[in-house]
Amino acid sequence: MLQRRDNHLGRVWCLLASGIVGGLLLATWTGIQTIAAEDAEASPQPEAADLAYFESDVLPILSQQCFRCHSGAEPKGGLDLTVRAHLIKGGDSGPAVDLDDPAASLLLEAVNYESYEMPPTGKLAPKQIATLTDWVKRGLPMPDHVEIADEGHGEPQVNETTKNHWAFRPVEQPPVPQPSAADWVANPIDAFVLARLEEAGIEPNPPADRGTLVRRLYYDLLGLPPTPEQVRAFVEDDSPDAWERLVEELLDSPHYGEHWGRYWLDLVRYAESNSFERDNPKPFVWKYRDYVIRSFNDDKPYDRFLMEQIAGDELDEVTPETIIATGFYRLGLWDDEPADPLLAFYDGLDDIVTTTSQGFLGLSMNCCRCHSHKLDPLPQADYYRFLAFFRNVKHYGVRSDESVREASIRSIASPEEQQRFQAELEAYNARVQELRGQLDAIEATIEPKLKGGERDDFKRDSQRQRVIRKHIGDLITRKAFKEYAAIRKEWTDLRNHPPRSASQALCVKENGVDCPPTHVLLRGNPHVPGDVVEPAFPEVLTAPAPQIVPPAHGESSGRRRALAEWITSPENPLAARVMVNRIWQWHFGRGLVRTPNNFGLQGERPTHPLLLDWLAAEFVNRGWSIKAMHRLILHSNTYRMSSQGREEPLAADPQNNLLWRFDMRRLRAEEIRDSILAVNGSLTLEKMYGPSIYVKIPEAVLAGQSRPGQGWGETPLPDRNRRSVYIHIKRSLPVPILAAFDSADTDFTCPVRFATTQPTQALGMLNSDFLNEQAAEFAAYLTKQVPDGDRRKQVRLALQRTMQRPATDAETDRGVELIGQLQSEHGLSEEAALKYFCLMALNLNEFVYLD
Amino acid sequence: MARPNDFCGRTRREFLWQSGCGFAGTALAGMLGDDFFASQTVAADGRTPFQNPLAPKEPHHEPDATACIFLFMYGGPSHIDTFDYKPDMIGRDNQTVKVRTFGRGGHKNEGRIVEPRWKFQQYGESGKWVSELFPNVAKNVDDIAFLHSLTADSPIHGSALLMMNSGRILSGSPCLGSWLNYGLGSVNENLPGFVVMLDPRGGPISGPKNWSSGFMPATYQATVMRSKGEPILDLKPPADLSQSAQRELLNSLRDYNEEHLAQRADNSNLAARIASYELAFKMQQHAPEAVDLAQETQATQKMYGLDNPTTETFGRQCLMARRLVERGVRFVQIYSGGNHNDANWDAHGDLEYNHNLHAAETDRPIHALLTDLKQRGLLGKTIVVWGGEFGRQPTAEYAKGTGRDHNSYGFTMWMSGGGIKGGTSYGQTDELGAAAVENELHVKHLHATILQQMGLDPNRLTYFFSGLDQKLVGVEGAQPIWDIIQSA
Repeated sequence: MLQRRDNHLGRVWCLLASGIVGGLLLATWTGIQTIAAEDAEASPQPEAADLAYFESDVLPILSQQCFRCHSGAEPKGGLDLTVRAHLIKGGDSGPAVDLDDPAASLLLEAVNYESYEMPPTGKLAPKQIATLTDWVKRGLPMPDHVEIADEGHGEPQVNETTKNHWAFRPVEQPPVPQPSAADWVANPIDAFVLARLEEAGIEPNPPADRGTLVRRLYYDLLGLPPTPEQVRAFVEDDSPDAWERLVEELLDSPHYGEHWGRYWLDLVRYAESNSFERDNPKPFVWKYRDYVIRSFNDDKPYDRFLMEQIAGDELDEVTPETIIATGFYRLGLWDDEPADPLLAFYDGLDDIVTTTSQGFLGLSMNCCRCHSHKLDPLPQADYYRFLAFFRNVKHYGVRSDESVREASIRSIASPEEQQRFQAELEAYNARVQELRGQLDAIEATIEPKLKGGERDDFKRDSQRQRVIRKHIGDLITRKAFKEYAAIRKEWTDLRNHPPRSASQALCVKENGVDCPPTHVLLRGNPHVPGDVVEPAFPEVLTAPAPQIVPPAHGESSGRRRALAEWITSPENPLAARVMVNRIWQWHFGRGLVRTPNNFGLQGERPTHPLLLDWLAAEFVNRGWSIKAMHRLILHSNTYRMSSQGREEPLAADPQNNLLWRFDMRRLRAEEIRDSILAVNGSLTLEKMYGPSIYVKIPEAVLAGQSRPGQGWGETPLPDRNRRSVYIHIKRSLPVPILAAFDSADTDFTCPVRFATTQPTQALGMLNSDFLNEQAAEFAAYLTKQVPDGDRRKQVRLALQRTMQRPATDAETDRGVELIGQLQSEHGLSEEAALKYFCLMALNLNEFVYLD
Repeated sequence: MARPNDFCGRTRREFLWQSGCGFAGTALAGMLGDDFFASQTVAADGRTPFQNPLAPKEPHHEPDATACIFLFMYGGPSHIDTFDYKPDMIGRDNQTVKVRTFGRGGHKNEGRIVEPRWKFQQYGESGKWVSELFPNVAKNVDDIAFLHSLTADSPIHGSALLMMNSGRILSGSPCLGSWLNYGLGSVNENLPGFVVMLDPRGGPISGPKNWSSGFMPATYQATVMRSKGEPILDLKPPADLSQSAQRELLNSLRDYNEEHLAQRADNSNLAARIASYELAFKMQQHAPEAVDLAQETQATQKMYGLDNPTTETFGRQCLMARRLVERGVRFVQIYSGGNHNDANWDAHGDLEYNHNLHAAETDRPIHALLTDLKQRGLLGKTIVVWGGEFGRQPTAEYAKGTGRDHNSYGFTMWMSGGGIKGGTSYGQTDELGAAAVENELHVKHLHATILQQMGLDPNRLTYFFSGLDQKLVGVEGAQPIWDIIQSA
């Protein structure tokens, strides 16, 4: 933002997109000016017609444009426009209206932008100004006091009522209810769900058939379709523990973490580039992605998982893994060329505050950056107290790559590696010195012989080769110059590419133990610092004061560890509730709380509050084990219900708020691409982890970049067909098939993805190069699997792979008929006809929707 | 009645009511109702019939304009060399003056004047001074309102482009075209509601971020259209699949899908997906027709400069824009300039070379567009906006040469049509054009004016995200520029 002309009051408001103090008040605001009604001029009783005029013509303007600031307990500039006497008496700047000389009224000057400029959002419409002018001229007809709806307006306060908000109360594990249909209850989850259903007189759906269940479970835990053999193995396994064994098998699969880790990556705005002009890649960021996948696979306790990400560098035992975890701080946007560097610094902290508070606590603390939260009992100071935990964190970088290394990269090498690296570094330094010595020697023979401007130019090292070149023949031979140029080239190359330890990580760093003070920033403007605040937890959560102990290594303040310890303490009312709700959401498609990043006053209340609290307590009791929660949920009958609609409950509870059935869902973007590759046999599943891959992006899409193709590489097969979680995420270049199916927006924490349906998706699924290539691949797969060319067998296999169930005869007939028609009626070759049948199969609703 | 202190604080129900009071109830319920807030990832309520999220919606008020064409002069054209006449600078070339500037070269307090390099003369009844860079656009000045006092928050391309397109200097927010489609829907379901056309030399910095729907669903993002070849990505079936063969395939697909749906009749998403394939099939027929310039007369093609290699590309795009607007597309944005440096208006080196090139490419097509729209009676309902992400400084960037650095302290944009007062000029920069000094405007006032003219109250068009009612014009709101609005 441009901090200029701050003497020009009418302009100050526009310094921040999110708003700055209105011009009238910046200089003169001194608090409330109380005006007793009897001090003011006695109001004549207005006629009914005048009042009607006021209500119909004037009031809408005042309510929409003025009352927001000029009313209530602390009206801006001490001017309350809802009270007639105040208008006449005026605020800090004097009377707002002059009934004797209406034209000279300050109010009218202000709306005409003649002295003050009101409203600060821009000049009113001429008609509105005319109305206000007319109103003043008519003698200000209005009631003595305009009643504003909801007199107790204003932001919620921290008090006993708000502290008692369901999500802010300590978690207490409620007793498990005893519904009457006890035989349906496989575990307490069912008891909570059934108790609510019985109250409502709704029967739960019967269990889904085994074919549906096996498909549901594979997608749920792995994000992948089961093969026909895997389906058969479960469907035909009639042992009583078949389900439990399948659950264990899939929880043990390494591909579980690839799928569940992706949910977490949505939440922490994971992307691999910085956005803005250069949109450069973030070095080593993929190690954070791998850390997340491994943490899920290892069932890392959730409290530990959060501790590592928030304060992995401040733990008693710091390991490469805990350093990588703090890459969490580095996943956001970074403008390497900000117009206002101070604002950019605070935007960076805001990104961290937003992600941490919404992601881990379900609190939208970002809303109180500029003013107290309008919907939650979070005063503005709470924001800055929370921000204070991060105040000492270094900004991502300052323009250059080198600055990013300095602020956000560190070595995670083992001692042996470090030793090897040291040796390499010494050899490098020696060679650089040797070359420099050679350059110096040659330059020393030239410099004394130069004259005039060349002597000046020669002072700059970067100019020397250019100057020397001009003297080939008189001061240096061609051969000697060539040697000189070669030495200089090697020297330059080495200087530009110093050896770097292979084991580095993108991570958080602080500026030592001592933190600069944290100020409340008035209206969020970093150039208008207010009171100093100390790190503290939101007041409404009745938290203890943070215990801040700087770590022994002396590189940071210890503040983030104090924050992490509070978030993950069993007493924290939000962390466990928020996470079990997410786990529920990722199994069932939506949370018990439908606003998973907002557990505040205006968030949705849980559909099953007792169940949520029971699960939250259970989560902590079971050592914050995410897999333990999976088992609980997956072993329930609630999870195993069919998704079938039934007339009565559809009428009584169309949204399925009471969980009388399992909700159908569409596959996520990554699942769609992975499934296409899986069913045609070309998914490269065995290779996990490591630097990201580049899939093909059509030239027409690359043409939208300012340098078409820049920052996008080519990964050859088979790596190009690795799972979608490994595709490079470049903020300014979304991959079409993923973007079309609503992959997460990476600029903010994304708690719930959209699931849109639009014709452009259909165009991509029918006409894109990718789909047509994969359909051809699918046809080749069928030809290979059914070498005798039996068309029915090929069709049956294709349908079985896409729908993960055996096709009926009618379905098979229809496919065979399509292939026949394409050949006989439309002249396609046998090969092409099979390909287009495969394309059709990949477009089936049943392929992308799960029961 | 609106409550005070609630600009950021409506409850969800209030929000639904407020943003929905003008909208068609059912369409909004389908779009933003319980299923939106409560269960974005799952089926809708099971009862709502298929609703195209882009189905047309009632505006907040009677609109003056139904479409907007935004001619984006990427890189930042120099206002004092085009439309902001500075006679006091004449004869002062190379003088060193005290003047505060801020561009990619940082903050400076003095500089060497580069006198405007083109002669100005007066045009039209309004007597508007226009430089010889735009001799044709000059003929339309009586239909144009010039805004000479624009300011923006950043003089750096990346963030300034984002600001001009989405109102914020940080990426992640929906663009103007997304807001218009979110607020108004589209009246032609066979065409996208938000179209972007790019310069063949490349996109703008940050590429797709400039036409992204940000935190809104992808439904509202732009579709990139090309003026040659396949107009929309994936619009054309593979070469060996005839239309009738594709129909055969789609019929078979529909049979499978309807059988699947029969067991799940309560899931409207399945029906919606079936319908989306039919829509896609129709788009394949209609979109190519919409951009088929062969249907235009020779005279029209010539008017737009299709006969001249210099003007052909931008001319085709302008003509396409007119055809799209005729067919109900809400928002069309055309980029003049792409890539970096002199491939766009970013005249850091040789000002004359740069601006002669880009003005020559665009002058005639823009004149044709305004004239053609007017002749067809479309200008009254179509806003045309011209400008870049910022302007340029009055002083030289370097010790030598005519290159000018970026300037977001004051620059010119113009608007025409759609109920905007022609033949007017609003706001002023100082005598050098270094900064706005009278009736200073911010980008959000431009946005507010476009929304207002298209029937949306800029301060009521909100989208709830991240705990806040987000607005294109920022949480504090902004007024339209009433002085250039005919009906005000």
